[in-house]
Amino acid sequence: MSRWPLKNSAKFQPSPDFSITILSQTQLLKMVVELTRHIAALFNFSVPEAQKISLAIDEAVTNVIKHSYGNNSGQLITIEYFLALGGIKIRIFYRGLPPQIMDADVNISKMIKNKKKGGLGVKLMKTIMDSVSYKTIGGKNCCEMIKWQKSI
Amino acid sequence: MKSFQIRSKIVNGVAVLYLKGHLDAHQVGRFEKEIVRLIRDSNFKILINGQELNYITSAGMGIIMGYIDEVREKGGDIKLCSLVERVYETFDLVGFTEIYDFVADEQVAIEKFSQIPTQS
Repeated sequence: MSRWPLKNSAKFQPSPDFSITILSQTQLLKMVVELTRHIAALFNFSVPEAQKISLAIDEAVTNVIKHSYGNNSGQLITIEYFLALGGIKIRIFYRGLPPQIMDADVNISKMIKNKKKGGLGVKLMKTIMDSVSYKTIGGKNCCEMIKWQKSI
Repeated sequence: MKSFQIRSKIVNGVAVLYLKGHLDAHQVGRFEKEIVRLIRDSNFKILINGQELNYITSAGMGIIMGYIDEVREKGGDIKLCSLVERVYETFDLVGFTEIYDFVADEQVAIEKFSQIPTQS
């Protein structure tokens, strides 16, 4: 029996089940984390899984605030949640600079040697979520992440 | 009430940082300021006690990563102790547990520091 019984058959609706638009302010990150954790838990993700999903969203939104908006607190970020049986898809829409995504696996020892702090957030996102992709939708930058439930 | 609190004390020559609450990109400046202050005051043996830390993001982990080399070059180290499972798991997800010294108990961690000679 497949560990991911609905992974290929689950379909996300074209419209989000829930969305929120926030200002690009780090003080709002905690609220986004709590909201995401609640939504994931409502859709049968275990508490540890829901916590990890919310961490991935925190990292993605932080990247947008810091890198795409250069810590300009007056910009907008829209987070859309799509729910399907067995999974959750989250899209983060923003304008500003598109992200520079490192495809290579993060090497912590190398980063310490080079005194680089960046890349950890993307590593976390990619480790936690089953899919992380960046695209342009309707002229806006979009970070799309999908997580499937481990067991249903 | 602040969602993140930080305090420190010196125990047997080790600067112990007690982190409490939710450490994210919004709060990380206070954490970095404290690490910088300790290093400026020549405290190179730094122990982060995370017994009451319930959340950390890459912002907080990046601070530890950013200063570890400097501290080790000066004969010290940054160790972590007493982390709750959820926070330990976050460190583990990015491979920190292979590079840094994670200790279950503060007293044991302080004793491990005593094996490092103090730089004059």
